Amino acid sequence: MTEADPQAEAADRALLQRMSDGDRAALATLYRNYHGRLGRFLSRLTRRPDIIEEVINDCFWIAWQKAADFRGDSRVSTWIMGIAYRCGLKALRKHGAEPVDEDSLPENHGPVVDPNEDRELRDWLSKGLARLSADQRVVVELVYGTGHTLDDVAAIMQCPVGTVKARLFHARVKLRNVLPALADAVPAYKDRVS
Amino acid sequence: MTISIGPDQACPQAWELMPWVLQGTAPQEQSDWLHGHLEHCAACRAEFAQQRRLRLAMSLPTDLPLDPEAGLERLLGRLDAPDATASHARPGYWLVRALAAAVLIQAIGIGVLGAKLWTTGPAPTYRTLSQASAPAAPGSIRVVPDAAMTLSDWGALLHRLGLRVVDGPNQVGAYTLAPEHSAPADQQALQQLRAAHGIRLAEPVSDTP
Repeated sequence: MTEADPQAEAADRALLQRMSDGDRAALATLYRNYHGRLGRFLSRLTRRPDIIEEVINDCFWIAWQKAADFRGDSRVSTWIMGIAYRCGLKALRKHGAEPVDEDSLPENHGPVVDPNEDRELRDWLSKGLARLSADQRVVVELVYGTGHTLDDVAAIMQCPVGTVKARLFHARVKLRNVLPALADAVPAYKDRVS
Repeated sequence: MTISIGPDQACPQAWELMPWVLQGTAPQEQSDWLHGHLEHCAACRAEFAQQRRLRLAMSLPTDLPLDPEAGLERLLGRLDAPDATASHARPGYWLVRALAAAVLIQAIGIGVLGAKLWTTGPAPTYRTLSQASAPAAPGSIRVVPDAAMTLSDWGALLHRLGLRVVDGPNQVGAYTLAPEHSAPADQQALQQLRAAHGIRLAEPVSDTP
């Protein structure tokens, strides 16, 4: 699903409206809709499932409390991802953990246990993400994974758009230099300071 | 910093557009331009292919063992325990509570001390060394006897009127007399003192300084 999907946005807003009236079924629906996205997003911050579950719980607890305050200035997904991001950083401070325990990255644990054909792709991605900072991983996830715009990412991470652009640029440069070339020969990447 | 993928000057612009064309959020004309550029730029074509693969990889579900239903159950349980969850959601909750309790205890203490002060009884009968003079008991009489008055006459007079010396003599020779019993000396005792031989002055001690 692309984040620009207007039907999904309308459905999310309707769920938030129902949540503001105390409708737990709406909360459950929104929770299930977002759990996968949030789990993957937060896995770019930490590899500990217990912290991720705790953050998702905190995120929806806040969404439940603040549903009536949602004014529609941003998309619901941007709002929820922003809450999750802040809860994630807070949880990491609470647990005294680095954003991602580098030793726990799948790359260093051998191939991910994944019986389907995605395993190779996961390994390929893990090699690249392992070279990025946490902020860069988050930006890459939000742009390539959840399909947010630069403005959305800036709103989620509460930083200037220019900062997001810089993080995305450097992440892409690193990934291009690190990730194994595809079938076609890829010329060595060069960047120059103008 | 600018980027250089291929020899074409348009490559940096192609680089910038790739994520948004892949997302489908780039305007149609920009998307068309990029695809036109890719047709004749092998380097950008390879980069775009890698970007496409990156997006595909990023869209895979997480490999971590997360259970949405168990998480939802915990969340709904949390909604049913508002007190416990409220404290979890607000880390400063217990601090605020502790401060409020401290203020309340202080207020109670001040109230108790104030009430005790308010209900304090009459001045104590003892006198501290820092006090200039002992407080006069109610009904006391200040008397200045004549210097020629004998001690036996003075003692007999006090005995007859039921008085005793509680203070004095001071610098001018005045004594303070008080009734031997708790009842204040009456006006009659005062008149008898004034009429007695050897008494130069007899005045009731005023309540006010």
